[in-house]
Amino acid sequence: MDKLSYNLYTPKLTHTEMSTTKQSTVKALDSLPVAIGFLIAVLVFTMFVVGYDQGQLFSVVEGQSAYDTMWIHELTHDMRHAAGFPCH
Amino acid sequence: MKALTLVGITLSSGVIAGIILAFLNLGIVEPTIDKAIALEVQKQVSSGENVNMSELIDYRYWQKAGAFAGGAIYGAGLASLFGVVFVFARSKLPGKNNKQKAILLAGVMWLVLFLMVALKYPANPPAVGDPDTIYHRETLYVGYIMISGLAALGMAVIWIRTRINSKKIIIPLMYIAIMVTAYVVMPSNPDKIEISMDLIQTFRILTAITIGVFWGTLGIIFGSLWDKFLSREQTLAAKLY
Repeated sequence: MDKLSYNLYTPKLTHTEMSTTKQSTVKALDSLPVAIGFLIAVLVFTMFVVGYDQGQLFSVVEGQSAYDTMWIHELTHDMRHAAGFPCH
Repeated sequence: MKALTLVGITLSSGVIAGIILAFLNLGIVEPTIDKAIALEVQKQVSSGENVNMSELIDYRYWQKAGAFAGGAIYGAGLASLFGVVFVFARSKLPGKNNKQKAILLAGVMWLVLFLMVALKYPANPPAVGDPDTIYHRETLYVGYIMISGLAALGMAVIWIRTRINSKKIIIPLMYIAIMVTAYVVMPSNPDKIEISMDLIQTFRILTAITIGVFWGTLGIIFGSLWDKFLSREQTLAAKLY
């Protein structure tokens, strides 16, 4: 099916249906297990950034040189020391 | 409380407390970091290493400015853990309101996740730490945090399930026994300290204070926001139904 016929034959959602869809999406996101999962993901990611990264994250785009420049390490350097994480 | 509200107050209180921590560190901890870096540079120069001073100054600028971003990230991360623990622990925590409960929990988390860990692996300023041992030290540090955190969590569960109050005295002693065992069993920090111990001790005391203030601030902001948004949601619900 090309794009035009897709647009022609795909039934458009009515205002009420769209609003119901939006509501159910918000409802699905607004659940305690989702919130807890999200907060745990934030915890793991942020602790990696502040306490562990030696160039790993930037190496995804920058390649091997990220391990020399260590931008995130330098950015969080003083906080890393002050928070008790090992450094250098 | 709505889950999205929980995420909102958790992250915002963490970011605010983290930025306050960065401001505190700038005035209190940064002078010791600067002194330690000066000693590190002095050592490099005396050993014949070529130190690019303008690059170093650029780095220091980036690092000091970055401490605010680092504070916000650190705050958001620890607040996330705090938020999750608070959701489960709130009904069991003593306190007249959520602010008091949050402050108490923040104090416990500072003790368990920072102070207990610092007894074995204390914070060190720059000029201490061999780059070759970084991953080993990170593993030890995170491992010790997990031992302390999980032991405290286990003890909290036992505390809640123990019905006879007189038996509860054993529970903190069990936590101490676990931590003493971990202290003895876990390997020490392998790096030698080659700078003044006075500077290092000052750094350790100052960071313990500022991180303590961070946890206290987090508890106050989080608890206040929780009370504020809970009562707002209850008022809204009462109007609707």
